Amino acid sequence: MKRKMDPVDIIIVGLGAGGGPAAKVLSEAGYKVVGFDKGPWLRPEEHYSGDELKFQNRSYLWPDVNLMPRTVRSDANSEARIFNFSPVPSNVGGGTSHMAGWMPRPRVSDFIFHSLHGDLEGASLADWPYRYEHLEPYLTKVEWSYGISGLTGADKGEGFRSKAYPSAPLPPTSFGKKFYEGSNKLGINSFPLPMSHLTEGNALGRPAVNRTSFWNQYGDPTQTRSSVATTYIPEALATGNFEVRADSFVREVKVGKDGKATGVIYIDPDGVEIEQDARVVILALGAIESARLMLLSSSNKFPDGLANDSGLVGKNATFHEYIFAVGLFDRDMEDPLHGWTGNYQSGGSTHFYETDESRGHIGGGIIATTQIGQAINAIMPGRPTWGQAMKDADRDYFDYSMKIGFILQDMPQETNRVDLDPNVKDAWGMPVARITNKPHANDIAMSRWQIDKNQEILQAAGAKKTIPVYLGDEFTGNACHQQGTVRMGTDPATSVLNEWGQAHSVENLFVLDGAGFPTALGVNPTLTIMAHSWRCADYIANTYMKGRSERLTLSPIKKS
Amino acid sequence: MVSKADWEIAPIHIDPDTTEKLFFTDHQWDTIEAAAARIMPTDRDPGAREARVIVFIDRYLSGIDYLYAAADGSGFLQLADKDAHAARARNANMQRLYRDGIHELDKKARELRAPSFKEASEQIQDEVLEQISGAPKPVPVSLTSMEVYYSRLQGNTDEGKSFFDTLCLHVRQGFYGDPVYGGNKDQMGWKTVGFVGPKNLKDTMDGTYSTAEFFVQEYDWEDLVPGLKHSQDHTSKQEQGGQ
Repeated sequence: MKRKMDPVDIIIVGLGAGGGPAAKVLSEAGYKVVGFDKGPWLRPEEHYSGDELKFQNRSYLWPDVNLMPRTVRSDANSEARIFNFSPVPSNVGGGTSHMAGWMPRPRVSDFIFHSLHGDLEGASLADWPYRYEHLEPYLTKVEWSYGISGLTGADKGEGFRSKAYPSAPLPPTSFGKKFYEGSNKLGINSFPLPMSHLTEGNALGRPAVNRTSFWNQYGDPTQTRSSVATTYIPEALATGNFEVRADSFVREVKVGKDGKATGVIYIDPDGVEIEQDARVVILALGAIESARLMLLSSSNKFPDGLANDSGLVGKNATFHEYIFAVGLFDRDMEDPLHGWTGNYQSGGSTHFYETDESRGHIGGGIIATTQIGQAINAIMPGRPTWGQAMKDADRDYFDYSMKIGFILQDMPQETNRVDLDPNVKDAWGMPVARITNKPHANDIAMSRWQIDKNQEILQAAGAKKTIPVYLGDEFTGNACHQQGTVRMGTDPATSVLNEWGQAHSVENLFVLDGAGFPTALGVNPTLTIMAHSWRCADYIANTYMKGRSERLTLSPIKKS
Repeated sequence: MVSKADWEIAPIHIDPDTTEKLFFTDHQWDTIEAAAARIMPTDRDPGAREARVIVFIDRYLSGIDYLYAAADGSGFLQLADKDAHAARARNANMQRLYRDGIHELDKKARELRAPSFKEASEQIQDEVLEQISGAPKPVPVSLTSMEVYYSRLQGNTDEGKSFFDTLCLHVRQGFYGDPVYGGNKDQMGWKTVGFVGPKNLKDTMDGTYSTAEFFVQEYDWEDLVPGLKHSQDHTSKQEQGGQ
């Protein structure tokens, strides 16, 4: 017989960027909340340090692909293979424990992508069921409570902002300065991207001592980086209303006769299956795992997976892709670029964000100059693999190369999806997520155009040689961004969730990560995920739990 | 189960000058040391041999005791339960890859009339490495050639690679990884390329180690971001207007 825990008000599955804000908002509102994470609850000050081998090569933070595999294939007719697709850390804090932390705001245009562009052949463009102005107050709340640094007013295309940033950005690195020089020569508006770390003298009064440059994919042992595990989780715990159950794998959301969620079944750290009931179930596992858990949760009422009466759960997945161009500089002519320094990003731009059809594609994304990394893994495409040529390349270019990356905004396609792999199971014996994806022609065109533009900037900055790294035939999930899969919308026939992240067909089920995003955004999704979670958690606390419901009315789009 | 958050720290320290072998036989040790020296050769700067890459690889292959240094470098984490199980399975594969790979190095060397790989001339050793890599020995980077690449996963594990690619990766790891793992003796690797790394891992945990001196010291955002002042004035006017 299964053990059963005392019921609580609210369950949150997944304690990363989506689950963290919801835990804070709902426990501060007085509800009893239990949060589950299948991974451990690491203690940053004890577990993290600047160890390249451990974090970059031996996957200390990334999911162990043998225990938590995913499979990937390019279309429905090809065989899926095991691949560590979109490896977001599986622990309390989730992706916020390893991320470099680009935290740009989404743009006004992101929320009305379909209205602006109409239908795109082969893609499933859609508007969001809410707009930038609905999210703006929550973007500000996150910036000021989580801790974001930025240069207010520097991004000339930003939407309305109600408050300046609470922290100044880091000084530019040497390669950052080069990036500004190249950008300014070409008339490109560049600026320090907003980042989820603080600098000294910040308005939050938090210490910000980590200047080690061990940053992207590393955990931060100090509180310099804003992470859910060191901000919202402790704040939620301080209310006395929140409990963390780490190393606990939720394998099913239970559904009652009335079609409402009744709670979850989870496997505790000792392998014991336990039931936990609640009035509301929130999924925030990340778009891949949230969709997987819904598909694993089949019932009489929902034989094809929880809230999947539309058949859309898992579909329209978007992943971004991190692509870039590298520039090599002449060490006899230049000062060292110190490409291994900085908190990953040291200058970026949204200059190419909005659609310009003369480029041959619609949409765009964010670019930034980023660290090449420490010595083992320093990024240099085509570096000689061994011998004197390798050693010379390391010596000549480790300090004399830089890269400009791009977050590619992929178009949603119904065929790009997550479903359950029929053959492969994880360490808990459950079918794993199978990812089917193929880039849209617009994605390929965007990749070419922007990476070529990044090469121009490098050349303007003085690079002697530039090396492009484009999007290939498949996404690799290397941005560790996950969107779509459980789409929000106003129509239950074409979406799974409404504007509050609430399932159309299961009123007490909410999905509060990137899964609800109808389009990918051209920015890194974390700030939007956090603000979205906060907004929806506000609705749960103040409206849904009070027995009321409310619908948002959107004004028509004024087409220019 | 023991959570990853509670893995014990075994107070093990690796002496880079050790000749004690935990995995390799004498012959295997000498063979890999010789191959590593061709991959990261000694020139005006130290190479794999001086940096004790061989000690690094031997410890890594010996089991799962040297997989993760404790964050502060005070020892090594002792994996438990399913994490340990998965790591042991990977280690067994890795040991097999090396045993077979060393066998192959010797076989190819003998085909080229050397007694063994370790006793072959550097030229023969390079020929063997060319053969097992399936490509000519890499030539210097050209600033005039054009190449195109496609994206791949960030991070770089050693799973699913050939013996040669694995060895090349491990040589880089042993040359450039934190010295706590037995290689990069006296930070020789870091000094070779100009990476000014921490004295020890603990210094990276509390602000003791800092790269602040390498950032641009004198700058003005208004120079780097032309038009900044104008748009900030505009923003603050908006803010006042909203009050």
